[in-house]
Order: sequence, then C-alpha cells, then structure tokens
Amino acid sequence: MNNITSSYGRKQILSGASFTAGRGECVGIVGANGCGKSTLLSVLAGTLKPKKGEVLYYGQMAWGDGSTGRMHGDREVIRRMTGYVPQENPLIPELTVYDNLRLWYPDKKVLAQELEQGFLSLLGIGAYKDKQAGRLSGGMKKRVSIGIAMAGMPPILLLDEPGAALDLVCKEDIRRYLQTYLERKGTVVITTHEESELDLCHKIYVMKDGQLLQTDNRLRGAALVGMF
Amino acid sequence: MRQRMRYLYMKITKTISLFPRMLLQAALLMLFIGMVAFCAAGSMEQEPLTVRADIGVVVRDEDTITRMAFQYVENLESASQVCRFVRMSEDEGFQALEKGEIAALIVLPEQIVQGIMDGRNPSVDIFFPENAGLEAMLLRELTESGSGLLRVAQAQIYGAYDTAVEYGIMEQLSVMEADIDTYNLAFALDRLALYDTEPVSATGRMSVPQYYAASGMVLFLLLSGMALYPVMRQEPAAFRRQLMRQGTGSAWQGFCQWICCFLCTVLVICGIWIAGVIAGAAAPDLMEKITVMTAGGGAYESAAMKTGIFLLVLVTVSAYTCLLYSIAGSRTGSILLIFLLSVVMVYLSGGLVPSVFLPQAVQAVGEKLPTAYLIRAVGGLYAGYSAGSAGQCAAGLCAYTAVFGIAAHLLGKRD
Repeated sequence: MNNITSSYGRKQILSGASFTAGRGECVGIVGANGCGKSTLLSVLAGTLKPKKGEVLYYGQMAWGDGSTGRMHGDREVIRRMTGYVPQENPLIPELTVYDNLRLWYPDKKVLAQELEQGFLSLLGIGAYKDKQAGRLSGGMKKRVSIGIAMAGMPPILLLDEPGAALDLVCKEDIRRYLQTYLERKGTVVITTHEESELDLCHKIYVMKDGQLLQTDNRLRGAALVGMF
Repeated sequence: MRQRMRYLYMKITKTISLFPRMLLQAALLMLFIGMVAFCAAGSMEQEPLTVRADIGVVVRDEDTITRMAFQYVENLESASQVCRFVRMSEDEGFQALEKGEIAALIVLPEQIVQGIMDGRNPSVDIFFPENAGLEAMLLRELTESGSGLLRVAQAQIYGAYDTAVEYGIMEQLSVMEADIDTYNLAFALDRLALYDTEPVSATGRMSVPQYYAASGMVLFLLLSGMALYPVMRQEPAAFRRQLMRQGTGSAWQGFCQWICCFLCTVLVICGIWIAGVIAGAAAPDLMEKITVMTAGGGAYESAAMKTGIFLLVLVTVSAYTCLLYSIAGSRTGSILLIFLLSVVMVYLSGGLVPSVFLPQAVQAVGEKLPTAYLIRAVGGLYAGYSAGSAGQCAAGLCAYTAVFGIAAHLLGKRD
C-alpha cells in the first residue's frame, strides 16, 4: 500500500499512509480511537475509494490512478485476494449459521468440507451450524464472521479489532486460528487495541495524523497507550 | 450473478420463515379495520344523510298578501324539510351567495301575488352559486321540476279559456277549470313522474358498499406494511458492505427487498382469500350477502385485465412500503410513518369520507395522490371500469411505482 489518501467530506483521514507486508506476515496497526484505522482497512477491503495512492496485492493492482489520473479499483482482485472481518458482525440474525455461510460459499460441497475438516472446523463452527445466528454469543459470532471472510480462501485477511468485547478463551482461539493461517503463508493485517493480538505481528505500525509510522516490536506497549 | 441469486434466495428464505408471525399481525390489523368498518356502516344506517339548505329570499315590495304567501310556502312541511328561508336585502343576498353561506337566492319582484292573480305573472329570479354544491344541484332540480309543473298548469288554464272564447261556451269554463284542477291534483300526487331520474352518488360509479370495500382494501394493504418490519428492516451495515465487496450493489439489495415485500403482500392476500373461503363455508348466508352487496361489473374489462390491475396494485403498494422503510429506518419510525401517511392520504383521496364532501382544494390534491389511483383501481374490480379509466389507473400506478422505486434506491445508496 503506497501513499494512500482518503477523506470523509472535508475531513482528511488518511494522508499518505504506506506499508508493505509479505506472505506469512502479520501486520498490526494501532492508534487512538478515530485515528483512521478502520478507514484504512475499508480502503484495503474495497468498501471505500481512496482519493490518491495505490494498493497492490502480490503485485496485482487493487487501487490506483494508472495512466488516466482517475482513481480506479479492480474489485475482482480485491474480492479474490482479501477476506474482510469488520468490527460489526455481517450476519443475518434470523438465519442459521449454515444459511449465513451458504450465502458466501458458492459451492455446497466446499462448505461441507470446510465445516468438517477445513478452516471452519478449526474455528469450531461445525458444532453450532444449525443454530440461529442471532442467538450466538459474541465470540461465536466473531468466529462465524472470520469464517465468512475466509470464503474462497483469500491469501490476505483483514481484521478490524477482532478481539473487541470477547472473553479470553475466545481471543485465544482466534489467535490460534490466525497463527495457523500465517503458517500456511497467509498475510494478516489487523487493527487492534489488544497487546495479546500484537504477539502475532511481525510488524507494528502506529497510525497518527493519517500516516503510518513503523515501530519496534519492543515498543508496542508504548504504541498502544498512545505515546507516539 | 450467482452471488446475487443466492442473496435473493436467502432473502426469500428469511421472508418465508418470518411470514407466520407477520400474518398474525396482519390478521389482527384486519380484525381492527373490520370492526371500525362495521361500526361506521352501522352508524351510516342509523343516520341517513340529510341535506338542508339555507335559501336567501329578497322581497322587493313587501305587502300583506306577499308576506302571507311567503309564510305559507315557508311553513309547508315539504319545503321546511329540505330548506330554510332567510329574509335578506339584495346586497346581503349576493354577498352571502358569493361566500357560500346560502345555496340559492330567490328575488321576488314587486307585487308578485297581484301579478299572479291578474295574469301578468312576473318572473321570479333564482340565483345559484357558480360552482354549485350538492344542495344547489338538488335545489336546481327541484325548482326546474316545480316550474315545469306550473307552466303546464298555466298552459292548460289559458288553453281552456281560449277554447271557451273561441267556441262561445264561457258558461262551461268553470266546469273545464274544475276538471283541469282534478286532473292536475291527481297528477301532482304522483309528481315524481315529472322529475328526471338521475341518480347522484357521492361515491361515483361505485355503490356505497363497493366504495368502502375498495377503500378498506387499500387502507388494509397500506397498513399491512406495518407488520413487515422483520423483513423490511435493513440488514447490518457490515453485512451490506460485505455484499458490496462481492459485487451485490444497493440497487440489487433494494430490488430483493421489494420482491420480498411483494411476496408478503401476495401471501397476505392469499391468506385473506383462504379465510374468506373458510368463512363462506361456515356462514354461507353472510358471504352471499357480502357478495351481492359488492358485486358489479363493467363492459370494458376481462378477468385477465382485472388480475393484471390487481397485481399492479400490489406492486405499487410494495414499492410504497419499501420507500417508507427506507425513509424511516427504525421500527417505531417506520410504523408511525406508514400509519400516519397512509391514513392521511386515504382520507385526502376520499377513502374515509367521499371526496365530494371535502373542500375543493383538498379534492384537487387528493385525486393526484397514489391512494386515489389505488382506490379507483380496486373499486374498478368491483364496479367495473369506464372507458379509459383502467388505462389511466394503470399508468398512474406505474408512474408512482417508478417514483417510489427510484426514491428508495437513492435513499439506499445514501446509506
């Protein structure tokens, strides 16, 4: 991601934010509330169009102004390359977990396989697939949200504060799941306020004044409390 | 495309799973509207509509005979039932006529009684307001019929006189006049024979039961949108963003929302139909009565056309419901908005009180509202459509559906 600029109306949120992440690498983004972490992930996930800059996924252009000078997004690249776990859970409460997953998994067989022995089984979703999504606990909902983001097995996973309002057991389960994903050479970009989630990260960036500043892993505590 | 179809399938699955609860709410609403309609029909039967108009009277030359004659007419039971005579000056009379305070102004010429007695027959001027209302229309009919009766009687008397003079039988004149009186009196007892029979109905082509069946159906369809909140409420923003990421835009989301609303409305109608069939089997006499009351038909429509128009009504109602949910957002806001807007629009369109009883400005606005087209379209199913009216209804409903759909889409994009 190179020199990304984005704004809501007149308010500039991102002003030249840049970072890189390789395969099997986890990048953590920390910063005060409202500093633009979620905006950054929205740009990466393709739900918000940046004003300037470019985003490349393994060399493929996702956002860029190219030769025309007008910002253009390749939604197919974004959709294929990224899975996005937003802060709120993208679930329909009246439907079962299975029906919710079915919407995002084009192939029934693939979904069944994932539930039995794939990533979804690692998340432990199979056990409650017939439950109504609205009746799940916060932790279970978050697992299903990650399961939805993993539809199509994207090589890049974007997580917006996944541990917020979850208990310790659930956080640990998610952490273990992300560890497995990284071992399989996936790339993770995570925004967080939780120190335990930063344990996974190979690089930590602090977002300040719309820009990303890389920090030493040893200084992550200071970054979390906003000393930068 | 597969993602879009899966989303539509998911929406329909959700709608069907929620439908029994919504049907129960719709049934309660139907019960409520039915009770209100039953009470209204009962009160209408107890208190038939009466028209009593104020008539201004200007007497230019008030002598004793004129005053006595006027009092005689004023106290006639038949006259006092339909009108009240108010004495006034000529200026006052015209001012009152302009303000709409009186339904007509009668100006009696000087020495009117004397003139009648000596055969000069001075004319009486009767003025009506420019845009005569229901009372003025009735009075005009009454006056024209009465003056016609008098003209015939006078022609008979003059004819008898001229005949007696011509043939030199003046001694027979009194006998002839007595015969004419007998004949006219006998004829006057059946004076209705002289009137033009022209039914005037506030509900137009429809009978009163048909009219209220149509407006009640429209009101029910509009209000049943209140029960659709579980289906119509917006999905979580995070979910919608995920859909956008997958290429399912706000237009398709809105379309699916509308399809589900339409499906619910159709299912509600099917539910009512099944309830009607069951009620018909349980109480055949009552159902036959209702069928007879609301039966009708026109020359211009076929069963296919009626079905088409009814489906168009459901399409428009669904689009209207979708728009209101897009505007309001919250549950309470949506229910309040649907209730208030629907009741007000049905009232302005003459669905609660026939529009001829509403002020002209309200009538002008009301007849352009979507509810006016809906009432006319549903009413046509009972009473039949006049030439061209089915096309007008269909065009109006299509136009409103497009407006509602575009507005809902723009609001969805804004979110």
